[in-house]
Amino acid sequence: MLRIVASASRPTRLAVANRRNIASTSARQADITLTVDGKEVTVPQGSALIQACEAAGSPIPRFCYHDRLAIAGNCRWHVPRRGTTLTKTRCVMARSLPFLVSSFFYSSSSAAPAMNGQVVFTNTPLVHEAREGVMEFLLANHPLDCPICDQGGECDLQDQSIRYGSDRTRFHEITGKRAVSNKDLGPIVKTSMNRCIQCTRCVRFANEVAGVEDLGTTGRGNDLQIGMYVEKMMDSELSGNVIDLCPVGALTSKPYAFQARPWELKNTESIDVLDAVGSNIRVDSRGVQVMRIQPRTNDNVNEEWISDKTRYAYDGLRTQRLTTPLVKGPDNRFVAASWPDALSAIADGLKRTGASGNEIKAVAGHLADTESLVVLKDLVNRLGSDNLASDLADKSGDAPPVHGVDIKSNYSFNSSIPGLESADAILLVGTNPRHEAAVLNSRIRKSWLHSELVVGMVGPRADTTYAYEHLGEDAKALQKFLGGKTNGDFAERWAKAERPMIIVGSAIGEHVDGEAVFSMLAQYIQSAGTRLVRDDWNGFNVLQRVASRPAAYEIGFVPSRAAASTTPKFIYLLNADEIDPASIPADAFVVYQGHHGDRGAALADVCLPGAAYTEKGATWVNTEGRSQLGRAAVPPPGAARDDWKIVRALAEVVGVDLPYDDVVSVRDRMWAISPSLVRWDALEETSLPVAKAGLASLAGKKKAATGQKLELPITNFYQTDVVSRASVTMAQCTRAFVTRESEPLAKGAVEMHA
Amino acid sequence: MCLAKPSHHLMLSRSYQPAATITRRIAPSFISRGLASESIPSSSPPVDATKSSDVVPSLSPGVFTAEVVSGAPFRLVLAAQLRHRVVRVYQPTRNTMQSGGAKGERWRIDFDILQGGARWENPLMGYASSADYMQGTRMTFKSQEDAIHFAKKQGWDYYVQAPTVKKIPPKNYSENYIYRPNKLRIMKTK
Repeated sequence: MLRIVASASRPTRLAVANRRNIASTSARQADITLTVDGKEVTVPQGSALIQACEAAGSPIPRFCYHDRLAIAGNCRWHVPRRGTTLTKTRCVMARSLPFLVSSFFYSSSSAAPAMNGQVVFTNTPLVHEAREGVMEFLLANHPLDCPICDQGGECDLQDQSIRYGSDRTRFHEITGKRAVSNKDLGPIVKTSMNRCIQCTRCVRFANEVAGVEDLGTTGRGNDLQIGMYVEKMMDSELSGNVIDLCPVGALTSKPYAFQARPWELKNTESIDVLDAVGSNIRVDSRGVQVMRIQPRTNDNVNEEWISDKTRYAYDGLRTQRLTTPLVKGPDNRFVAASWPDALSAIADGLKRTGASGNEIKAVAGHLADTESLVVLKDLVNRLGSDNLASDLADKSGDAPPVHGVDIKSNYSFNSSIPGLESADAILLVGTNPRHEAAVLNSRIRKSWLHSELVVGMVGPRADTTYAYEHLGEDAKALQKFLGGKTNGDFAERWAKAERPMIIVGSAIGEHVDGEAVFSMLAQYIQSAGTRLVRDDWNGFNVLQRVASRPAAYEIGFVPSRAAASTTPKFIYLLNADEIDPASIPADAFVVYQGHHGDRGAALADVCLPGAAYTEKGATWVNTEGRSQLGRAAVPPPGAARDDWKIVRALAEVVGVDLPYDDVVSVRDRMWAISPSLVRWDALEETSLPVAKAGLASLAGKKKAATGQKLELPITNFYQTDVVSRASVTMAQCTRAFVTRESEPLAKGAVEMHA
Repeated sequence: MCLAKPSHHLMLSRSYQPAATITRRIAPSFISRGLASESIPSSSPPVDATKSSDVVPSLSPGVFTAEVVSGAPFRLVLAAQLRHRVVRVYQPTRNTMQSGGAKGERWRIDFDILQGGARWENPLMGYASSADYMQGTRMTFKSQEDAIHFAKKQGWDYYVQAPTVKKIPPKNYSENYIYRPNKLRIMKTK
C-alpha cells in the first residue's frame, strides 16, 4: 500500500527536470533535522555539526571552534577518515580535529556541516578512544606546568584532559618537548608559547574582530608558531580578548599574572562605565580588591568582547582614591574630616558665598551614575537653580547642548548596536568609533567584513579597522556631500543604500560648527524622506563617548539658557574631572564628590569620597539609551559612600527635603522622570513621529558652518577618565601604543628571544 | 541610609563598621528602624518572570517567611537587622575563558553587599573581615521560579536579572572561501 502511494507520487523524470529548472536555488531547506545521541534536533540549514550537537544538548569538546569566530580549517576532518596514518607531526596541525570527533566515522564537527537525517553519536567508546588519542598528541608537546600556569582552574585543556585524557604517559622523547620562543605582544598579553596548541583562535580574532592582520602563523606542522612575524607589539584596543579566547595558558594576562586563581574570586555581574557602550562585565574580586574584569556575553551590546581599557583599568581603582572627606584648611591644604564636619563645611560655604538661584552650579562628570545625577538635580533644583552643567571640552557643557534633550533620539544611537550589522552604508561624522566605543567599532568591522558595507568619513582621518572613504575634514565638506556634490564610490553607494546610517560623534556637540552640523544633517534626513528614518529603521545616530551623558540628558541634567550665563558662586562637581579650571571663578566655593583625587579634587574646597563603579549598584544608560544595572562587587574604601546617599545627606544638612531615603524610592523617582531608566536591559526606541519631531527641531536651527576643522575628542584611548589615568597598566599601554616610547623589552623576554 | 523616614523596611545602607559614617550622626535611633518589620507594605508589584525587575519587596500573600515559621522570639528576629537583604536572582553567564557550558542553566541567588559592613581589611593581618554573615553565601537553583520562591520564603527582597539570549548564526567552513567580487577586505594570516 505504502509502496504504491510512494510510487504514485514519485515525480516523473520530466517533472524532476522541470523542477530543477524552476527551483534550482530555492530547494534549500530552511531547517534540517538530525539525530544526535538518539535525540532529534532541528537546526538551520548550513549550521556546523558542532552547533547541532550543542543544540541537542551534547556539547562537543573543542579547542579551535569558537562561536564568534570563523570556523578554522585546521581540523582536517578528512585526514583520519581516509585512513591516513596520524604521525606526530601531521597531528600537530590536525590535532584539534578528531577532538571534535563525533560521528560514527571520524570527523571534525566544527568543519563538517550538519546534514539532514544524519545520525551522530558523541558518546561511544570509539569517540572516547579517539579523544584520548588526540589528547595524547596534544599533551605530547604541552608542558605539564599547570601549577604555575595562570590558566590553571579555567583551562579547557586541563578540564578536557582530566575528562578524556589517558591516566599515564607514553612520552619518552629524549629531546624533550617542543620549545617555542615567547613573543612580546605588549603590556597586556603575556605569552608562554610552549603551551600553544595552535588552535589559531587568537589569529582569527585578530584578523576578523580586532583588525590586526599581522598576528599570524609561520611554519607548518610541528613548527607552526603564532606571532607578529617581526618584533612588534599587538597594537589593538581589543587585544585583551585573545587572553579569553586562548583555550590554554599560551596567552595570559600580564597585569593579572600570578595574582589570583579563579576559585578564589567572587564574581559580580556588572556594567562597564569607561565608555558609553555599557559593555557587560563580570567583576572578579578577592577580599576588598577588584582582581580582574572579564566580559560577559550580551549580543545586544558587546557580544563577547570588551576593550582593553574596560578590562585593565581596574588597577586604577586601587590608587589615588579618596577615602575620607577632606576640607581645605586656611593654609590651602586638605585636612581629613568626618562626614558631618565635611557636610556642615559645605553648608557653611553655601551660606558664606551667598549663592542663590543659578549661582549654585552642579557639574556632572564622566563617571556619575544615574541615581546620583537624579538626586543632585533634585537638590540643585530645590535650591532654586537650573545650572546643571557637564564637564565637556571648551566649556561647552556650561551651555545647553546643541541637540537639545527634549527628544531622546536626538542624542542617542538610534539604530542600536546590533542594528549596525544590517547597515549597508555608514557615514561617520567627526568620530573615530575605535577610540570612542571600541567594542562598537568591532561590530562595524564585522559588518564590513561580512557584507558589502561601505563607510565614509567626515572629520580627521583616523585608523579605523575598516577601509573608509574620506570625504573632508570640516562641516563644509559634509554640506557638500549631503548636497550630492561629492563624487566617488561612497557617494554612489550611499545614494543607493537601503539602510544608511549616519553616526555623529559626541564631540560635534562641543564643536563651534556643532549646531550647523546637526541642522544640516536633520535637513538632509528630512529631505531624504523615508530613506534614513522610517518605521523599521532610524539611521540617525549620535555616538556618545561618556557613560554618564545619555543618562544626564535623559533626566534633563542640562543648564537653562539663563543659567548658562550666570557666574556661579557655589560649584558642586559630581565626578567632574575633565572640567576646564578656567570655568571656575576664583571666589567660588567648590565641592568635589568622586572617587579619585584627580583634576576635580584639586580644584575643590571640600572633597567627598564617593564610590567607584565597581563599588555601587547603580543604573547606567548607554549610548543607545539602554539602561543597565551595575552591581557592587567590593565595598568602597574607607569612609567613602554611595554617591546618591552623599548628595541625599548633604540635602539634609543644607535643609532641603528630598522625598526619598532608600534606593528603591530613588528609583521610583527615576521612574517618574523617565520609566525607561528603570526598565533595565530593555531598549526603548523612540517612536517615528517623535523622532521626526526631534529632527524638525534640529533642522529649524539655521546656522552657517564656519568650516573650522572637526576634531576627535580622544587622542589617547587608554587614558580618558580618572580610573584609567590612575591605572599603571593603562600608563604602560600609553607608552607602548600612543607615545611609542621605545619600551625596552623585559629582561626575561630578551633572553628568551636570544 | 536612614535619614528622614526611619520606618521604611527597605533600608539598604547600614553602617556596622566603626568608621566615620554619615549615618551615625544624622540618622535617628538605630532600633526604631528595626521595628519597621511590622509596618509591612500591603501590596507588592507583580513580577514578570522573564524580564529584569525592580527590587521586589518579598512579602507576598500565602508565603510564610522563614522567621515566622521558625518560631524564634520576635526580639531575636528584630536583632537580625540583616533579615531584609536584597538579593539578585540571575543566571550566571558563561566564563569567557572557557568554552564549557556546564552549570549554565542554573539560577543563582547572591547578596548585594552591605554598605560599610561588607568587607574591610583587617589591620592585624590584612585579611578581609566582614560584618555580613551572608557575604560568602550563594545558592543555585534549577529554575528561576525556585529561586524566587526561596527568596520569598526567606523574606528577602529580590530582583531578577534577565538572562541574555545568544545569537549565533549558522556557521559553515565554506564561508571562509566565499567569493566576494570587490577588493579583498580581510587578509587571513592563519
